[in-house]
Amino acid sequence: MPNSNLGLNFLARTLRTIGVVLLVFLPFGVYYFGTYTALAVFSGGVWGIVNLIFLSAVVRSAIRPEGIETARLVVALLVKFPLLYLAGYALLKVPQFSPLNLLIGFSICLAVLALKALGRALLGLDKGPNKSDNLGEAVR
Amino acid sequence: MDYQSMLSLALPFGVAFAAIGSGYGLGRAVGSAMEAIGRQPEAAGKIQTAMIIGAALIEALTIYALVVFFILQGKIGG
Repeated sequence: MPNSNLGLNFLARTLRTIGVVLLVFLPFGVYYFGTYTALAVFSGGVWGIVNLIFLSAVVRSAIRPEGIETARLVVALLVKFPLLYLAGYALLKVPQFSPLNLLIGFSICLAVLALKALGRALLGLDKGPNKSDNLGEAVR
Repeated sequence: MDYQSMLSLALPFGVAFAAIGSGYGLGRAVGSAMEAIGRQPEAAGKIQTAMIIGAALIEALTIYALVVFFILQGKIGG
C-alpha cells in the first residue's frame, strides 16, 4: 500500500463521514422512498456506526503492545455483544422496517469504510496531517 | 422433500457456516495482528486500524447471513 497512513483518526473521520452520508440521505429518503424505508436505512446505518465504535473499542483494548486493558475490554464486550445485537434483533423485528432496508443502511457504513480505505491506499486521497488520534476520546 | 422443509433445514446450516467462516477469519486476523504488533510495536495504531476494518468486513458477512435468515424465515410456513 503506497499511502498507508491509517492512523486511528482515520476511523474517527470515517465515522463522521458515515454520519453525514446518513443525515444527507434521510430527508431525500423520506421524500422519495417513504418514511419507514428511510428510517429503516437510517437505523441500519446508525446501528452500523455504533457497532464500528464498539468493535474499535474491543480491538484497541484487546490488541495493544502494553497488554490487555481488562476493564475497558469487558465493558466494550458486554455492550457490544449482548446489548447491540439485541438492539439489532429488535430492529429486525419492527414490523414497519424491512430487513433489506436495514441491511442497506448497514452496508452504507461498510461501503464508506471500504471506499475511504481504498481511496487512501490506492489513490492517496484523504491524506491530511495526523492532528490527533481522537477515536479513543470518541469511544470513551 | 418440499420447498419449505428444505428451506428450514438449509437456513440454520447457512447461518452456522457463515459463523464458522467468520470465526475462522477473525481468528486468523487477530492472530496475524498480534504477531505484527509483537514484531513492530511502534506500528500498533496502523495495525489496529487495519484490523478494525478487516474485522468489520468479516463481521458484516455474518450479519448479512443473519438478515438473510430473517428474510427467508418468513417464507417457512408454520
